[in-house]
Amino acid sequence: MLGGKKAENDETAAKKRYSRRDFLVTGGAAVAAPAIITAATSPATATAAVDGPIPKSKGYLVYDSRKCIGCTTCMLSCSLTHYGQQNLSLSRIQIIQDSFGKFPHDLTIAPCRQCVEPVCVRSCPVGAAHVDADNGNVRVIDQKKCIGCKTCLKMCPQQPHRTVWDHVNKKSSKCDLCIDTPYWNEKGGPGGKQACVTNCPVNALKFVAEAPNQEETNGYQVNLRNEHWLRLGLVDDSRTVIPRPAPKMMGGGPGGASKPGAKPGAEGPGAKPGPGGPGAKPQPGAQPKQ
Amino acid sequence: MPGGYTGKILRVNLTTKEVSNLPTEKYMDFGGGHGMGSAVFFDLVGAQLPFEAFDPRNLIVMMASPFAGTFMPGSGRCEVQGLSPMLYPVEWFGHSNFGGRFTAQLKFAGWDGIVIEGASDQPVYINVVNDQVKIEDATNGVWGMDTWDAQQEISRRVVPSLKYGEWAELAQNCFTTQIPAVVTCGPAGERKCRFGALLHGPGSQAAMCGFGGVFGSKNLKAVSVIGNGGVPVADPQALMDARIWFRQFQWDVDNPHEAEKFESGYSLINGSPSGGNVSNGGTNPVPARAAACASCPRGCRMRLATADSNESVCAGTMVANIGGGGMFGGFGRKPDPKAMPQALSSKLTRQGNDLMQRYGIGHWPFMAVNGYIGALQREGIIGPGKQIDIDLPPAGTMAYYETVFRKIAMRDDAFGDFAAEGPARMAEKLGRYQQDVHGGTLRLTYWGTQEHYDTPTQAEWGYGSLFGERDLMLHQMSNYPLHWMITSGNPYMSAEEASQKYAEAMVPYNDDRYLVDYGDGPTGIYSDSKVKQVAWVKHYEKFWMGMGFCGWRWPQCITNNTNDYRGATPHAEPKFWNAITGQDKTFAELMEIGHKIYTLDRAIWNIQGRDKKMEVFPDYVYDKPTNGSEQPMVVDGKWTYANGRGRQLDRAKVEDFKERFYKFEGWNPDNSYPTRATLEKMGMKNVADVLQSKGKLG
Repeated sequence: MLGGKKAENDETAAKKRYSRRDFLVTGGAAVAAPAIITAATSPATATAAVDGPIPKSKGYLVYDSRKCIGCTTCMLSCSLTHYGQQNLSLSRIQIIQDSFGKFPHDLTIAPCRQCVEPVCVRSCPVGAAHVDADNGNVRVIDQKKCIGCKTCLKMCPQQPHRTVWDHVNKKSSKCDLCIDTPYWNEKGGPGGKQACVTNCPVNALKFVAEAPNQEETNGYQVNLRNEHWLRLGLVDDSRTVIPRPAPKMMGGGPGGASKPGAKPGAEGPGAKPGPGGPGAKPQPGAQPKQ
Repeated sequence: MPGGYTGKILRVNLTTKEVSNLPTEKYMDFGGGHGMGSAVFFDLVGAQLPFEAFDPRNLIVMMASPFAGTFMPGSGRCEVQGLSPMLYPVEWFGHSNFGGRFTAQLKFAGWDGIVIEGASDQPVYINVVNDQVKIEDATNGVWGMDTWDAQQEISRRVVPSLKYGEWAELAQNCFTTQIPAVVTCGPAGERKCRFGALLHGPGSQAAMCGFGGVFGSKNLKAVSVIGNGGVPVADPQALMDARIWFRQFQWDVDNPHEAEKFESGYSLINGSPSGGNVSNGGTNPVPARAAACASCPRGCRMRLATADSNESVCAGTMVANIGGGGMFGGFGRKPDPKAMPQALSSKLTRQGNDLMQRYGIGHWPFMAVNGYIGALQREGIIGPGKQIDIDLPPAGTMAYYETVFRKIAMRDDAFGDFAAEGPARMAEKLGRYQQDVHGGTLRLTYWGTQEHYDTPTQAEWGYGSLFGERDLMLHQMSNYPLHWMITSGNPYMSAEEASQKYAEAMVPYNDDRYLVDYGDGPTGIYSDSKVKQVAWVKHYEKFWMGMGFCGWRWPQCITNNTNDYRGATPHAEPKFWNAITGQDKTFAELMEIGHKIYTLDRAIWNIQGRDKKMEVFPDYVYDKPTNGSEQPMVVDGKWTYANGRGRQLDRAKVEDFKERFYKFEGWNPDNSYPTRATLEKMGMKNVADVLQSKGKLG
């Protein structure tokens, strides 16, 4: 309902050193170097020089935004495990939805892409955003080093930016694939578990080890639905529900109310035997073709 | 403060324009949600009762709970309380609730609830952004808008920088990608329609009790909330563990436990996504998303590629019956044959229902109104040149619903003004209440709300409604998991097994194996076992459901998602409660708070005039044999599935049942008033004192 795609502020755009497409259409090639020099967080764990090649992350989140039900459990899981509270604004994955919108454009899943060419890492002036070499080269932010300049927020080529402002600590933050979850006793990162993936009730998020196609959202937006999802009667744009015979039903619908003149105690609309009640599944064949 | 609470309740006086707060701690003994709302209501105006719903002294109380804003499954609803202009014959202290994300945002903004007092001298809306609360002018375009436009316009006004898909700065250095959560009345509420609804989003209604009309009486258009704070959690690890543990009770969308037990009524039981929107089905459904309320793992709603009927469910997708509904070809009033071929369109059905949502008309009470209009047309009371002179288009056409909705919402001419009074008062105004309601033509079974399920068989629904203030609406008790398991054609448990597993979950009465016996024998619908079941239902309703639980999710005594068919109740509720709050409560202890809340509600109703004599069903419930309803029953000493067809409710046995129920609850069996001993034992001496001053102490 509110607006549409970002109308980028000219001034902000000018500040960005590289356009969004510069990064996205390259399939991961580091065409935007040289970058701002960043310091390593420690000799053992960080990539010191960021004007050279940066190793790919060994983990990524992919998603199916058509399967997502918008419950925001992933967001709350993220903030819970990282901060010990349930807070949408602190979540490093954002689910943005417009109740009045048209499917599938009513909802956007916005996780960090663990970019092959991580602009946040390259642009951080103090090396707080860095590659965690000890944990699968995941792109992370060390809040102890972050000076709160918001460069990584401004430079992230995604909309909305996937680096997240931690308004409590006044530092930047970003998805670390659950490497550092002080409130969840579970190994995270590549080879471990991610809170958002673990708790998504419909498995609309998935961890993958291979770098997705970096062009636009092509590699990250995937189809995670199988035949059971299609049976829900939701239909997607590629397949239709296979008609099946309706099961034998004994009873009728709810009510008996608002049917003046209905037989005493009669159930259901028109008191006729029929399938289901409120919430019952659509029955193929129950509706004339239009 | 324990985890889960923000510590303060927002208090807005529309008469004085004063904004203040109440300390949550004062009401902590009631847990949150409904209980806390009842306590606040009694605290602020209990001693002033009785007065009527449109009196400026009436309150609108919208309480969140410790669960709101967390990922406790299926806890995202907002409880609304106050005197209800819809209920009958007294405008009882009522409750209604709506899904979505309102209470989550309320908590993120830093509030455990909102209490609205007084009435504004001109139209306003309340704007909450974190701790900044403003009473905004609504005369500049918002008042008069339909519910959809109002929400979108208010969202734009309160966070002007917000664009879909971007971060917006709510306060200095505080950002969100979320859209403000707005709850609003429509044109119907503005004109004090007695079943004017509150709308949040396109389809989430507080349909019962006419609180949209109360908004209108206060010149209050809407409340908007958004925040970027968090909900504190006492034990994050335990909460995370609880949610992971809970997965076993969910429908596994990729690999269902019993994939074949999916169709029809089963979806009501197993919690599979979508299904709530029954107007999008059949052979050519519109592509759609299964859409959840905050924190719900099910997602029973839909958002369609056409955006019609977005987030509406159940009655909200069926009431305007222009044919072609996915299930029944619609619901409620059947299309007039003259309406064909238009009465074949599920799309028009969806759009017709959307019209109802936009006007802010309560779908559930409208169903009774609509049916009664039809009856009065047949009786020659409504029609051209008749007592109520109007020439309505044929039922089942969009023109019919456009006309009826508009006239009701605008109180347009004699017909609209008449119908906006709601079904009970329509009958009363015509002098036909006795004839039509007691005769069974207009089946307002419980306090002006319509019959929902069969009282003589699904007895706890009837008793629970009669001993409350309106239709119980607790589907996950016997109704979905037992009734619909049977009517779906292939019950996956025997009657005995289902009833025993069900009873096992009903702590603290779980040593009674006849709690769900729906027969009319010695352990059936008049028995002490049923007394306990009804008490369990009411206590669960008041504590757990009042915490924003969804009636399509909780309680979960049985399920076909697990190997042994046992559900999450009674283990899940305290597991999540304790993880969030840091308390160490048992299910039984928290159910006792439900008992306390129920007793407080009872005290309020008693002050309003409720007594034992009033608590009777309309005559037809006793006098007319029922067609029955499939349930587990003990027949000739054996458990079986049966429907009780032909049964009539026995007046004398119901009266005897009432007395035993009152006594069980600690109320005087002669008049239903709570006793001082009960109230003081529950820590409510102040309530006992007020009841005594009113001559209503049991």
